[in-house]
This record gives sequence, C-alpha cells and structure tokens, in this order.
Amino acid sequence: MHIAVLAKVVPDYEVPAGDFELTNNRAHERYKRMMGLYDENAVESGVQLKEKYSAALTIVSYGNTDDIPVLRKAVAMGGDSIQLITGNSDDPSIIAANLKMALDSLGNVDLILAGQQSADMDRGVVHGILAEMLGFAFIPQVAQIEHENNLWKVIQNTESGIRELEFGGKAVLSITSVPENVPRIPIVRSIFAAKKKPVDKIAEIKSDAMTIDEISLKIPKMESVCEFLPAEDDLAETAKFLLRRLREERYI
Amino acid sequence: MKTLIIEIVEPKRLGELLTVSRKFCDQPDIVVVGAGKVPGSFGTAYQVEDTVAANLISDIASLILEKSYEIILLSASTLGAGIAAPLSVRLSAPIVSEVIEIQPDLVVERPLYGGKAMATYKLKKTPVVLTIRRKYFEAAELQGFTESVPMELTEKKVDLISEKEAKTEGVPLEDAEVIVSGGRGIGASENFSMLQELAEFFNGAVGASRGAVDEGWAQPTQQIGQTGKIVAPGVYFAVGISGASQHLAGIANAKCVVAVNKDEEANIFKRARFGIISDYKKIIPVLVEALKEEA
Repeated sequence: MHIAVLAKVVPDYEVPAGDFELTNNRAHERYKRMMGLYDENAVESGVQLKEKYSAALTIVSYGNTDDIPVLRKAVAMGGDSIQLITGNSDDPSIIAANLKMALDSLGNVDLILAGQQSADMDRGVVHGILAEMLGFAFIPQVAQIEHENNLWKVIQNTESGIRELEFGGKAVLSITSVPENVPRIPIVRSIFAAKKKPVDKIAEIKSDAMTIDEISLKIPKMESVCEFLPAEDDLAETAKFLLRRLREERYI
Repeated sequence: MKTLIIEIVEPKRLGELLTVSRKFCDQPDIVVVGAGKVPGSFGTAYQVEDTVAANLISDIASLILEKSYEIILLSASTLGAGIAAPLSVRLSAPIVSEVIEIQPDLVVERPLYGGKAMATYKLKKTPVVLTIRRKYFEAAELQGFTESVPMELTEKKVDLISEKEAKTEGVPLEDAEVIVSGGRGIGASENFSMLQELAEFFNGAVGASRGAVDEGWAQPTQQIGQTGKIVAPGVYFAVGISGASQHLAGIANAKCVVAVNKDEEANIFKRARFGIISDYKKIIPVLVEALKEEA
C-alpha cells in the first residue's frame, strides 16, 4: 500500500488580523512559514494508516526549496520521503497538474490525502481538481479511514452529522480535523532522522491556468467598537446592564 | 445567462442560491440531490436519488454540456465541495469557491488568508462553477413546488453505507438568533452545559470554536468558523474564544458579538460590541440568574 499526503507550506496563519500585511498582493514575506493547518491533520491520518497497514508514505508538495525544512516536520511525524515540485504559481489548475505529474511519477499510489483546504488561499479545490485529473474518486471532509477486504471505509463529516462511505478504487480524500487526527509532536530522534530522509526535487511542468484574473487583494478594515463592561465588583449589575443594552439596541 | 443550481432539498440553502441566480437569469434550472418535493419555482428540476457527490459528477457534467449552462451554482457545503472542483475539470471551467459577493459581469469576491484579506476576481469565460458561502445572500422566498424529472446516473464510484444525523437540542445553529459559543478557554466538555443553559433562555443554540471541537468537547456539527458553519445571529456570545481570524470568518455577519475572556488582549474583543474581561465561570451563571429573575 502506498499513500501520498499533499502538504503545502504557507505563511503563519495565526497572525492576528490587526497585524496582517500584504506585499505584492500576497502575505508579507516576513511571516514565518509553516505547514498548512489541515495538512498536518492529513499527515497525521497518513502516518496512522502507515502504522496500521505497513504502508509507504510519501509527502508531496508544490512550492519552493525554502519549504524543505518545514516539510521535514511531516517526515519527522512518520513520512518516508518528500517529493517537492518547485514552482510558485497560485493557480489551482497549474498546482493540480504539477501534483498529478509528481504522483504519476511515483506510479503506484493507492490513496491520496490532503488537508481540507490550504491555510493561505483557503480555496479547498486543488485536491478535487487533482482527483478528476487522475480519474480518482474525490471525497471531501473525511474524518476517519479504514481498509478492509480491499475496500476503503471512510467517515465523512457533513453539516448535519456523519456518513459512512465505502469504495474499492483509488481516491483523493480531503481530511478535516477531529480529535483522532490531532498532529503528533515528533520526538527529537525523529526530527534528526528526518534530516537524512530523501527529498526528490522535480522541476515544474507547464500547464494551462484557469481563465480568471485576480483584480485586487485588499485587507478589510476592522474598526473596533468594543464597549468593555466592568467585571471587577458587582457582576450582577454588569449582567443586568448587558441585557438592558442588548434590548435597547434591539439585538434581542 | 443560463444558470443551473445543484443543491439538496433544504429551503434556506436553495433560497440563497436562488437569490444569487437572479443576478443572471429570471428562472434557473436545478439538479436536486436527494429525495423530497422541490420547493420553489424552477425552469426544469432534475432530481437524483444518490447523494454521494463522487457519483454525480459525470452525469451532471454531461447535462451541463448538453444544455449549455453558463453559470453553475452550489453552496459551500460538503456536497458543494465534493462536486464543484471535479466538475470544473470536466467542463474545463474556472472555479471560485466560497464566494461572498458577485456581480452580473462575473466579478466575484472571496476571502483569503482566513478572512484577513479579500480578493476580487474577474471570470473571463463561461461556463463557471461557483460555490457560495452560506449566510452572505438573503434567501429568496420559495413559492410553490416544481415537478421534478428523474435523472439516471451512469457511474457509481462510492457507496453510502450509513448516515447519522448529529443530535441537536433546540434551534439549528444556522437559524439561531442567539448563539452561545465556547472555545478552548472553556476547559472541559462538561462546562458546555453552562453555555447550554444560557442559550436556552434565548431559545438559542450552542456553538464551538475549532479548538473546542478538536479537544472533543463539542461535536463537529457545532463548529463555527471558516471551515465550520457560517452563522449570522443577532447576538453571538463568544465565551473563552481567542478570536482567530478563521473563527471570525464564520461570524462576520453576526450583528452583535459579546466577548467573555480572561485575556484582555484576546483578538475577539476587536470584533466585539460588548466585552467582559472575566472568568466565564463567574459571569455566565450571573447572566443566567439575571435572566431567571426576569422570567
């Protein structure tokens, strides 16, 4: 069994909105680079499958060579190797075409996992595009994965509950976060060992971009109008005051 | 422009997509996913019983190509996420997800970087596939019903084994006028009962941040935020929630945010109308008592 996990290195997604700045219509370069929020859940899910089914686990990423030290965390968590396609496009079609090229070169991938959306572009479309390009099934928002009798059984989170789905072929799954796939913290020995694991750098191929123009990217103004209510002395009075104000301003 | 909606039988979701569709046409067609009478007036309503997105792509793509639809609308939901991107490949169409504003000339807006930035795009050719973020468009009233035409599927990639609805008490989050939401600051699953008690006084609902869901203190169906539910209540009590931009993206349309947090530097206060710097275990019971006195 061979599992591939797609991981993207993104600017620090925990930067508060008030401190967020743009340069060249993208997040400022000074922000720390880190693995995407949900991509870490996907890596954890992949490592759990590797441990359970003795699978091979390859981390596949599209980005630049500066991302390698960040991607090594995925290897320290349990990945076997890294495939990095070097490129800097933000176009989902171009990224998916390049991921396809890398996955085709691996040849024998049974299952592809990806975070439910990247933590920068927030699109959640690259994995679905990739699945269709590969001719694989695509299932979003997957919380659990099992393999039994040559069938994959997955639990999908929906707006109203959960669904159990089953399939026999190859698939791309987008992984959501659940308590069961909270990313493990690699031990020191694994971190050092990860530095010796192979990184296969692949040059980007040319492919067609989507017919979309990005006209602008702006930071919305957030004006703080918070009225702080006293909380040191008489909390009962504060509670009554709050309820009165909510009614006066017709919120309740 | 010829417009096709793809959606389940859920009146609010259908109503929101109908509102968006009216920027392009008077009466869109629809592919209804799942069973049930089709509320609202549509040109043609195609209905598929199978609700697994992966099984629908091929036949919906064929329908779109055959009927030359130009605008394809889905809600930003699990179903929408499962259909939209693969469908865009089949149609060689551009796709924009989580759209929050749209003009008839196909200029659309969507958030990036967890809602910290807003991008505007111009789609240069049709067909286009768009997923629409919930609660950004007023739901159109659905009048009457449309007789549906069964749509046969030719592909089955994935089997649905079982489906379980999450147990919810009271009003659904998306419809609640008051939401009391807890974050990691709540500290334990059992402490959510305090929030439940407050919510009940307002006939409201209890939500949670991603952090609280990751801790297993609340169900994934209660998660509010960019990758959870998008809500638009009259009052949103954010209790023990730090206010990460990804969470704020889910409450952008809340009319009034009341933030309760011990940390005076918490980002949530920047979004709040009223702020209380306090241990929630002190203020929430007092609020409940005040409401009991009023009752």
